[in-house]
Amino acid sequence: MTVGASSAATVAAAQRFQAAMPDMGASLLATQAMAAPGELLNLSLNASAVLPEAAVLLAMIATLLVDLAGEKVATRWVPPICYIGLGSSLVLLALQWNAPLEPSFLGAFLADNLAVAFRAVIALSTLLSLLISWRYAEKSGTPVGEYAAILLAATLGAMLLCGATDLVSVFISLETLSVASYLLSGYMKRDARSSEAALKYLLVGSAAAAVFLYGSSLLYGLSGSTSLDTIGLALQSSTTPLAALALVFVLATVAFKIAAVPFHQWTPDVYEGSPTPVVAFLSVGSKAAGFALALRILVGCFGAFDDQWKLLFTVLAVLSMTLGNVVALAQTSMKRMLAYSSIGQAGFVMIGMVCGTEDGFAAMVLYMAAYLFMNLGAFACIILFSIRTGSDRISDYAGLYQKDPLITLGLSLCLLSLGGIPPMLGFFGKIYLFFAGWANHQYLLVVVGLVTSVISIYYYISVIKMMVVKEPQEASDVVKAYPDVNWSLMGMQPLRVALIGCVAITAVGGILSNPLFQWANTAVAGTPLLQQAIALSSLKGLG
Amino acid sequence: MLLSLLLLIPFLGALALILWPGSPSSARLRDVSIVLLVMQCLASFALLLPFDAADAGLQLVEQARWVRAIGLDYALALDGLSLPLVLMNGVLCLVAAISSRTIENRPRVYFALLLVISGAVNGAFLAQNLLLFFLFYELELIPLWLLIAVWGGANRAYAATKFLIVTAVSGVLILGAFLGIAFVTGTMDFSLRPILAGELGMTTQLVLMGALLIGFGIKIPLFPFHTWLPDAHTEASTPVSVLLAGVLLKLGTYGLLRFCLGLFPDAWQVAAPWLAGWAAISVLYGSLAAIAQSDMKRMVAYSSVGHMGYVLLAAAAATPLGLMGALFQMVSHGLISGVLFLVVGVVYAQTGTRDLNVLRGLLNPQRGLPLTGSLMIIGVMASAGIPGMAGFISEFLIFRGSLQPFPLATLLSMVGSGLTAVYFLLLVNRAFFGRLAIAPGEVVNPRILNRVALREQAPAIALSLGVLVLGLAPELLSNLSEAATTGLSLITGDMS
Amino acid sequence: MSDFLATLPSLQAYLLVAAMLFCIGVWGLINSRNAVRVLMSIELMLNAVNINLMAFSSFVDGDLIRGQVFAVFVITVAAAEAAVGLAILLSLYRNRVTVDMEQFNLLRW
Repeated sequence: MTVGASSAATVAAAQRFQAAMPDMGASLLATQAMAAPGELLNLSLNASAVLPEAAVLLAMIATLLVDLAGEKVATRWVPPICYIGLGSSLVLLALQWNAPLEPSFLGAFLADNLAVAFRAVIALSTLLSLLISWRYAEKSGTPVGEYAAILLAATLGAMLLCGATDLVSVFISLETLSVASYLLSGYMKRDARSSEAALKYLLVGSAAAAVFLYGSSLLYGLSGSTSLDTIGLALQSSTTPLAALALVFVLATVAFKIAAVPFHQWTPDVYEGSPTPVVAFLSVGSKAAGFALALRILVGCFGAFDDQWKLLFTVLAVLSMTLGNVVALAQTSMKRMLAYSSIGQAGFVMIGMVCGTEDGFAAMVLYMAAYLFMNLGAFACIILFSIRTGSDRISDYAGLYQKDPLITLGLSLCLLSLGGIPPMLGFFGKIYLFFAGWANHQYLLVVVGLVTSVISIYYYISVIKMMVVKEPQEASDVVKAYPDVNWSLMGMQPLRVALIGCVAITAVGGILSNPLFQWANTAVAGTPLLQQAIALSSLKGLG
Repeated sequence: MLLSLLLLIPFLGALALILWPGSPSSARLRDVSIVLLVMQCLASFALLLPFDAADAGLQLVEQARWVRAIGLDYALALDGLSLPLVLMNGVLCLVAAISSRTIENRPRVYFALLLVISGAVNGAFLAQNLLLFFLFYELELIPLWLLIAVWGGANRAYAATKFLIVTAVSGVLILGAFLGIAFVTGTMDFSLRPILAGELGMTTQLVLMGALLIGFGIKIPLFPFHTWLPDAHTEASTPVSVLLAGVLLKLGTYGLLRFCLGLFPDAWQVAAPWLAGWAAISVLYGSLAAIAQSDMKRMVAYSSVGHMGYVLLAAAAATPLGLMGALFQMVSHGLISGVLFLVVGVVYAQTGTRDLNVLRGLLNPQRGLPLTGSLMIIGVMASAGIPGMAGFISEFLIFRGSLQPFPLATLLSMVGSGLTAVYFLLLVNRAFFGRLAIAPGEVVNPRILNRVALREQAPAIALSLGVLVLGLAPELLSNLSEAATTGLSLITGDMS
Repeated sequence: MSDFLATLPSLQAYLLVAAMLFCIGVWGLINSRNAVRVLMSIELMLNAVNINLMAFSSFVDGDLIRGQVFAVFVITVAAAEAAVGLAILLSLYRNRVTVDMEQFNLLRW
């Protein structure tokens, strides 16, 4: 009975705390605790907060319905349906920006600016992934409708995850994202590699989910609630070893989702085996959702264990940056190289999270947005290359500049941006991360970040060297037999739009990055959760 | 606005070259870029009109907010330290474009990159915000890498990658130090201002300055961080070598003066004796290594290592005279190495080799390259510090300025200066004097040695004239910069 | 409610069973060569979580039954996950004619 008693005490303490500092969750919790079922129904669900998700959901259902009408109809109508769904979702998100905050679904979802920003990144990454998918799907002979529906389902899960503030809703959205991702990575049914990637992803992912659940069951036991706010308050008053255990479990799952070393082993396999457009989504959309989850749970829930999780995250970040960037040096497959580079990039983003300052969080948001464009731009180029040649080996890019200047220029700019070379967007993002890290005295992280940036420049440059420096006579056989560029085929125009859009934003976005910086800062300013953490850590800094 | 023009002309010009419709010939592209670079050159000389030489402070300041969140401002300004370097950049980039006659491989990209480099260097010399300087400093990295890697010699891939990685390391060190400066001073700002005594612990200052020293030391390059330079020079084409030696190495020395000496006057004084020793070692090493070379271009490259060491020596002394000498040395080295690389380029183009064991008697008035040979002799004399040339003035000023504080290091550097004469005499003696007789089996075929048109030699001639003019009328340059270099030395003077 | 609780073993007993079940699941996850067994091990881990949730729900949460609701969600999602897992396994079996984990080595760095 001791656990029960202590947790009753914590609940009491939590309620005292809330009485002293009323917030939105408190009154709700009180009503919830006393309300008869009839009264609960009278509470406003405030369902308008998930309207962007509803748009995605509608698009998904419409896609599935259209898909019933046969392949031809689906190929014709699925793309516009997806564009409309995701486009309206983005518009609805823009309307939510800086809107007054009201928890919806009885505290299971909160559309604060952080959630809006990350959901926008995810929706945009899906939109771009879809734009670059059509031709690839057509070429590999897979049905377009199902593919789009599953990708939209993954988007739905990822977007919900960004705003989920209750363990149950976190779990449900996490699993929606995960299960859809498993299906996506195994989407090329006839390809053994794709199936193998999916199975590995599924087994590791489900195990991670089980570990997460075990951790959250402990959290539920400690606090008697599934709401992240309440759990956070309860943990503040009782930092038991059991809570530390729960932290380790939850942290492992978060690390799995953002593919931090040593929870990264699935990444290269899945990235190499999965269809390339899926990898594009996984590396950006899924990762953004992972970071949103990390912020919600670690910052929101484990405030009492600030030092501990920051220490663990520092270790993870150092390992990710080092291993990701060093192993990327040895890769011969473009997709695998980008997989390891994405591990390294996640390490950079984690610097911002460890800081826990205004600038740190803003740098995270900014870098995710920058990463969206530069990484998807790179993937658009890789997909275009593999559509034309069927290869993704780095050595096959030799001498490409002569046959395909567009891919060469686009991929070069995106890779330079990933490497943090000015004046690309990635340079500004990375500087901001280092700036925030240094301001917060995270010298180890910044130094490791700086050193590994140099390493990363080396392997990004070696791809550019392949494409640009090799003379026509040194070109690979694949490039020598390069087919004529034909933009009129189905799905090529969207691919071109996505490619040029991403590359243009990557190249010019850095110079004109002031609005982006303001956007990231507003995202942090309009998020009570982060503001509390910032206030707390600055208090600690003073004391 | 004038300063922004120095950035706008090359950057927009590069964009225009890339977007130039159709498939213009190499000569056409070269003409266009020459026009652009002449405009840039004129714009930089136009700076002389509003520039007030008596004012030691910043002039023509242009300030605009860029990215507030990371303290990055678009802040440009001019002073006596940056003006001569901007002028030199204008001249040498023009020379590089003019001497790029034989670019048949992707000329569009080549000239665009040339323009980007020239703009980036201008930006670095003019930037008054640490982060802005870093941005321009890194911006020049990839274009130069491409220029070496695509248009270089046989072993270009290795040399280019080495250059890239080493320079990226230098960039990282500089960025780390800049972040440190911005935060340790507590201003969260990257604006340039000296770090005053007491504001920072000496250890912190030394660490930050050490990072900057190594970062810029790689770029200058100082022994033992110089290994990339001979490789890069050997593989780079002639115009790129001119740019590399003339302009890009100056980013390192400029950084040394502006950031190490200018921002850390206290720590600089503590470290100065060691720096003087380091300079002497660098000078001696560069000179001795140059003697051992048989490749003309490598020899000139190693001479750069030695001659850049003088700048560190002068900076270590930080006397008004020495700093003037340092600036003089930067400009004169830019011009002299320009001449030397151009001449070596002509010899290589005509004979197909740069090997001193093979070349002989090139000065032969009938069948050889008499004009080229004369230019080489002028360049060599200037480099060795013969009176009447720019090299003499700079070496005299440097040694005069640093003899009193660091007699031993200065004497050793003088020995290095003497060695310059030795290896360049070796070069001239082997390659240009003697008979143009060719032993059986040797690669040089005297019939290939066509008369080189005067037109093609014009850049080298112009640069040698510049060397002579600066040698005979040094006040042209010293008047411009005296206030600035004196001001820079005063920072240290006050502290002592 | 308290009468009902009095008839039950203590909370620790439930937690212990759940922890053991979870450990067995982890052990199976690591040691199984057969992919189906790996899936089953994951189910064990999820069931351990369910026991945890139910126990906490009865002993800690009082009148609200959030733990039980959570458990229902877990069961549902676990079913979906298992379905997808088996489907993927089936498609892999068609390609490779094996479910031996050691044989799945096409992807390796």
